[in-house]
Amino acid sequence: MSTPSVSVEAVTKRFAGHTAVSRLSLQVPSGGIYGLLGPNGAGKSTAIRLVMGILEPDEGRIALFGAERNSRRLSARIGYLPEERGLYKKMKVLDHLVFLGETRGISRKDAAQRAQAWLARLEIADWAQKKVEDLSKGMQQKVQFAGALLHEPELVILDEPFSGLDPINAQVMKDIVVEIARSGRTVLLSTHVMEQAERMCDRVAIIARGQLVANGTVAQVKADFGGRHVALGFAGGRERADAILADPRLIARVDDYGASAELKLAAGVEPDKLLAALVQAGVGLRRFEVVEPSLQAIFVAKVGADPALASLPAGAAA
Amino acid sequence: MNKTFAVIRREYVERVRTKAFLISTILLPVFMLAMAVLPALIMSGGDRTSRVAVVDASGSHLGQPVAAALKAATFGRGGQAKPRYDVSVFPAEAANLAQVRDGLIARTGFARDKRKDGWDGVLVLDAGTLASGKLAYYGDNVSSLEGMNRLQRDISKALAGVRLAQSGVDQKLVDKAMEPADMDTTKVTEGKRTGQSGAASFAIAYAMGFLLYLAILIYGQQTMTSVIEEKTSRIMEVLTSALTPFQMLLGKVLGVGLAGLTQMGIWVGTAFVLGSQGPNLAGAFGMGAGAADKFAIPGVPASVLLVFLLYFAMGFLLYGALYAAIGAMCNSIQETQQYAVFVTMPIIVGFMAVFALIKDPSGPLGTIMSFIPFFAPFTMPVRWSMTAVPPVQLALSLALMVLGLLACVWLAGRIYRTGILMYGKKPTWGELWRWIRA
Repeated sequence: MSTPSVSVEAVTKRFAGHTAVSRLSLQVPSGGIYGLLGPNGAGKSTAIRLVMGILEPDEGRIALFGAERNSRRLSARIGYLPEERGLYKKMKVLDHLVFLGETRGISRKDAAQRAQAWLARLEIADWAQKKVEDLSKGMQQKVQFAGALLHEPELVILDEPFSGLDPINAQVMKDIVVEIARSGRTVLLSTHVMEQAERMCDRVAIIARGQLVANGTVAQVKADFGGRHVALGFAGGRERADAILADPRLIARVDDYGASAELKLAAGVEPDKLLAALVQAGVGLRRFEVVEPSLQAIFVAKVGADPALASLPAGAAA
Repeated sequence: MNKTFAVIRREYVERVRTKAFLISTILLPVFMLAMAVLPALIMSGGDRTSRVAVVDASGSHLGQPVAAALKAATFGRGGQAKPRYDVSVFPAEAANLAQVRDGLIARTGFARDKRKDGWDGVLVLDAGTLASGKLAYYGDNVSSLEGMNRLQRDISKALAGVRLAQSGVDQKLVDKAMEPADMDTTKVTEGKRTGQSGAASFAIAYAMGFLLYLAILIYGQQTMTSVIEEKTSRIMEVLTSALTPFQMLLGKVLGVGLAGLTQMGIWVGTAFVLGSQGPNLAGAFGMGAGAADKFAIPGVPASVLLVFLLYFAMGFLLYGALYAAIGAMCNSIQETQQYAVFVTMPIIVGFMAVFALIKDPSGPLGTIMSFIPFFAPFTMPVRWSMTAVPPVQLALSLALMVLGLLACVWLAGRIYRTGILMYGKKPTWGELWRWIRA
């Protein structure tokens, strides 16, 4: 296996009053999309800031591209979109991108060319000469996104890249992220939206309260979670299903969405036994499918099962 | 290094492009010109003939020569001369003196359009006036120091004339003897006449002190607000991932400083051109050469200009770095007040020292202050412009300035690199100390 792009070893970071990251170990292999998942306040952003060298770990060590990190020296190889978006509001969009490019070590001329190309790609080329403050929030986020990618970094670190975007813009950015990964480069992104992570990521790490809860390829994480899972879609007579879903002899866990539900069957229970019970009770079904557990289900099960992880301190930093 | 240049360029271009920069570049000279011209205008507005009633209870007709002396006093000379006083004499006896006086005072101090027959002042001469020189004046302009000095001088002249005449001196001789002195001042530096009048030398020193104060304060605080902006807009995180704190600090202070230097260059350059080309320009605008004299901007020697710019640059770097550190410590402009005062105070002290210096540029106070890096940017250029500063002193001042500058930039850098990523509460003094030592 080639050198991991990011290697975090037993890193701990404490802030006054609480531990944001606790003995966290991660290996982000070179190439592909690596998802850092966790609820708000889990320590995702702290972990990313540690990787970026914005924060110094209290314990443990972090390496980028196999070398003891000083990400600033490596900044030409890394693109970074922080969780807190920020741009100079009074600057013109194109000037701003050129400046960001220069701080990452590319020449003014190259930066200007690439910025134009990115603005065209993100469909905001008409705004190149406008001030940042005249742009909508979504457009500003696109500009910042372009700023993080302008220098064609081999490692792209995106903290909650899709939050605050409308579905169309989220789609545009998702396509770009996928394209980066396809070109053999590495994307490390954090998100708390599990469906998205499940569809995009090659590997994931789930953290809660600063600790690693699950880690590996999506398939691995699902296999490790074990059990048999059934997705249900209700057509009618939903209330008649309640007793069955609550029956611990049949069902180990329920993730109930009202019109649909995801179940983990109790040990030794075959899916057809559940189907029979539902039909017998007169529950109308739109869908009955044996599925892999969703990351969402795994996440809720893992984080929810441990009271220490579930009860997050109010206002803890993300 | 290229990255630092990128930061410098950004700070400079974004600042120089703003309307605020353009407006302040134009407005400040207008403001300063107004400061120079307004007092003159106000004084010429005071070129108003005042109506003075002279109550003569001297018993020796002292009122006549006093009135004559006052009537002879004029604003300006030659063809444009305009009488200072419109004098009427009211004879009185010791018995009705108070009555006459109070009657006149009752008509004194009204605006001209309210009461055409009103008086601006009432002058009371009594029996003892000639001998003792004591007399009383009641008027609406008694708070005008210059007006009172002038009045007293004119009366003294009359009294002296009468006393001389009474001693038998010929009136013509008295008039000749009374011709006032009229002194022209010229500054001499190292045995050479500089061509500046005393007033011009003062004007240059004052203008330099004022410009330094204004520019260091305004641009210093701009570095502070721009650090705060980067913190609140959260762009800091993107920057810190690509730049070292020192690159950011250096780029910012240099960029803002260059913008300040540009503005200063425009001002000083304009003044230089006006000063050397004043008469030609005045001619071009159809004004007489006399008009140019009136508004003359004194020529500035090149060495003064050089020292001025050198100290501005170093003073700005010193204060700009400290202001940037304060910006890094705080989360909002409001929060900076508590700390900014520690940086603003020395600036104000330095500026105030300029006034003391103008009186005595080579005194111990001025000499010592031009060695202290916090004050030298204000005091040294002013001293240099006013007097011959020994080169040893300049060298020592510069050396100390460089040392102080390095120390301040180092200190600011320590605070800056920790502060820029601190959000939330302000640091305590203890925490600040830890940031510096870390």
